Amino acid sequence: MQIKCTINAKEFSFDTEVTTRVLDIIRELGFTSVKEGCGEGECGACSLFFNGKLVNSCLLLAPQMQGAEIVTLEGMKEETKLLRENFEKSGAIQCGFCTSGFILRGQEYITHEHNKDAKAIGDALDGNLCRCTGYQKIIEAIQKSMK
Amino acid sequence: MMKIIGKSVQRVDASSKADGSIKYTDDLEFNGLHADVMRSSIAYGKILSIKYDANFDFSEFTIVDYKDIKGSNTNTILMDDQPFLVENIVRFIGEPIILLAHRSKEALLEVKKHISIEYKEYDALYTLQESQERKNIIFGEDNIYKSINTCKGKEPDFSTLNRLTRTYSTPHQEQLYLEPQSMIARYNDGEIKIIGSMQCPFYVESALEILTTKKIEIEQAPTGGAFGGKEDYPSLMAAFVYLLSEKSQEDVKLVYSRRDDIAYTTKRHPAQMQFSSYFDDAGKLYGLEIEIALDGGAYCTLTPVVQARTVLHIAGFYDCEYIKVTSNSYATNTPPNGAFRGFGAPQAIFAIERHIDDIAKKLSLSPIQVREINLPTEHSKSVTDAKIEEYKRVRAIFEKARIASNFDAKYIQKKSKSLTKSGIGMALFMHGGGFIGDGETVLASQVWLELYQDSRVEIKISSVEMGQGAMTVMPQIVADTLKIPIEFVSYHTPNTKEVANSGPTVSSRTVMIVGDLLRQAAKKLQSSLKNYSNISSYQNRVKVYLGEKPSKRFEAQYIKPKHLKWDEDKFYGNGYDGYSLACYVAEVDIDPVTYQVKVKEFYAYNDVGEVINPILAEGQVEGGVAQGIGYALYERIVYEQGRVKNSRLSDYIIPMAADLPKIEIGFLESDASAKGLGELPMDGPAAAIANAVSNALGVAIDSIPILPEDVEQLCR
Repeated sequence: MQIKCTINAKEFSFDTEVTTRVLDIIRELGFTSVKEGCGEGECGACSLFFNGKLVNSCLLLAPQMQGAEIVTLEGMKEETKLLRENFEKSGAIQCGFCTSGFILRGQEYITHEHNKDAKAIGDALDGNLCRCTGYQKIIEAIQKSMK
Repeated sequence: MMKIIGKSVQRVDASSKADGSIKYTDDLEFNGLHADVMRSSIAYGKILSIKYDANFDFSEFTIVDYKDIKGSNTNTILMDDQPFLVENIVRFIGEPIILLAHRSKEALLEVKKHISIEYKEYDALYTLQESQERKNIIFGEDNIYKSINTCKGKEPDFSTLNRLTRTYSTPHQEQLYLEPQSMIARYNDGEIKIIGSMQCPFYVESALEILTTKKIEIEQAPTGGAFGGKEDYPSLMAAFVYLLSEKSQEDVKLVYSRRDDIAYTTKRHPAQMQFSSYFDDAGKLYGLEIEIALDGGAYCTLTPVVQARTVLHIAGFYDCEYIKVTSNSYATNTPPNGAFRGFGAPQAIFAIERHIDDIAKKLSLSPIQVREINLPTEHSKSVTDAKIEEYKRVRAIFEKARIASNFDAKYIQKKSKSLTKSGIGMALFMHGGGFIGDGETVLASQVWLELYQDSRVEIKISSVEMGQGAMTVMPQIVADTLKIPIEFVSYHTPNTKEVANSGPTVSSRTVMIVGDLLRQAAKKLQSSLKNYSNISSYQNRVKVYLGEKPSKRFEAQYIKPKHLKWDEDKFYGNGYDGYSLACYVAEVDIDPVTYQVKVKEFYAYNDVGEVINPILAEGQVEGGVAQGIGYALYERIVYEQGRVKNSRLSDYIIPMAADLPKIEIGFLESDASAKGLGELPMDGPAAAIANAVSNALGVAIDSIPILPEDVEQLCR
């Protein structure tokens, strides 16, 4: 089927199978900050903003992209600058495979929430898995980036 | 000049990881064939026939089986029992038989339906116990891959001592690196280059040399976590893409789905450890008799070395005159078990540290008292009859954790079985860095430092960055030795045609062994520049020294320190070049309604000698403790007749942020040089947590994971 959508504020138009996952389409188009960690919506590595909502792109299929506005980490360089710097400085990054998902989730938290309490942030990260860091420094980086 | 060692230099790969621009294997430019693997559907049996559907058009597919292998079909690691591709007999569910490649992933899903494999099934051994009972013989004469036995000291007079016998068991554990196994073969005019996610490029090189009889170029791509899971398994991945690429004459990529990765790749070895201990009324140990059994899975892989590490850690660093250990590793018809952070030590530490608490309970003493009375002295000898040189450091780390956690005040012994809300537990332990025994001598690792006209020094080693920070701390070591800014030091991509073989990136050996070699090479570079000390700047000295030459290489190679002795037959001597030490304390809460155990406080005190990069070191501890908490409380692989039942992240549960406590971390800086760090924090948490749960419930915990249903059972 023919799909028209916006990715990182640019118009895209392409042909795809109805059963293709949004994750695969996005990666094929070169937005490889979006990763496949589990393929079933558990790990959050494939996170992206879909019509303003943070979602797991492995759980969406091509037809849902019709007319959608999609933003990946590649399209959020400015907004995430402070948070990325704090991730870099705080040791919140190890292997890095989960990092883009955490940056997007962290940015969403910073934008919408005000609770800087480590527990509240930890609870809010329930859609993202990291196997390297033990999350402590990720939480710290998010705290440091909040007003 | 500012000191670089001991400074939290920011990771060199931080910004490319933070903005998502770094390219892992599956992110690399690719225009070739996707690969898939046809696997055995039974646990043990003989292939009778493989039928290709006559009505299906296979012409667009590249299909490979063992007959396409030009060299030898043996993935030799320690034994040559494992084929790259099954020829005749299958030994576990999911064993690779046929490789397939096609431009479209969807076509690969379809084609598998048109290939059918018929088997004659044999009686499989699904568990360690079935293998021990020799219900059937599936390996050698007795199902045993390796026996390691050792005995040191003089048998005490058993008649005057208390005796306690208990058995501890630990389960499989999945590494669960976030990036699944991934590998690419690049085809270029008959030459094939392998690029992928791996810990040990030269292991892959030697595996492919057996497969092809040629030296193939192997390059590591940025690796999204490994934890041992990418020590030996990538050799198979590389063999698969190589064979398909050779046959199709195209680029080939194989990326495992999470389900395949969990179901078919290596796991931590399950272990069963029986302890009989002999001690006086004060808890002083005089004798330990220990029997260890490990489940190696269907092929030997790294099992004997994992087993050796279990033996070397099984008695901790306690003072005990007599220690006798017998150990066997067994074959079962389950996917081969392999390397996972800790590599045999987490099993051993769980057992010995639980046993110390069990002795305390039997004598109605505090576990602190029993640990204290058994702390090593200058006369104490380890399980392999070597002096415990670290005895002062062991005492120091124990005292640190005891006081910092306020253990004595918090510990209340339960007289009877009772479901109270909370408990506290400790684990005092060590981790040997580097290969065991003469392993480092055999490896004879090399490092190269290349000095260039622009004053840059390039590190050329096969030790890889996999998240642990090698690419940052190794330049710190070189810059510190040369007293130059770290910006002058770069890290060459680990590629077998371009770097020195500094050995595999395993065994907590990177900083301790390879880092030390880099320091030696840097000193050679430094003394070469000494003759030019009248020249003012480092840059100018380099220019004059190099003259017309574009670059100059400085090398160093491992030589075993003279004071270290090892007798492999007796299993006696210095098991390791050096030890790191730790003492961890866990405080747990148990929910009286759901029976869920939650770690409330965690104290992790470590002595790893010199700390190179504090923030990265803390990260290693936080991450290792998190994996240890998972091992203790959440992670369970369920096998049913040899088949993994929970090969998904929705049913194999690893800790989330909300599951973890704040971890209080301290490093006891001793005057020791840098020791291994990576594995240490994985070794202790399960024991500390199980001790805390035992304390809370007044019931001894003998196995992990401690799931709510287990707690409920124990409370009945």
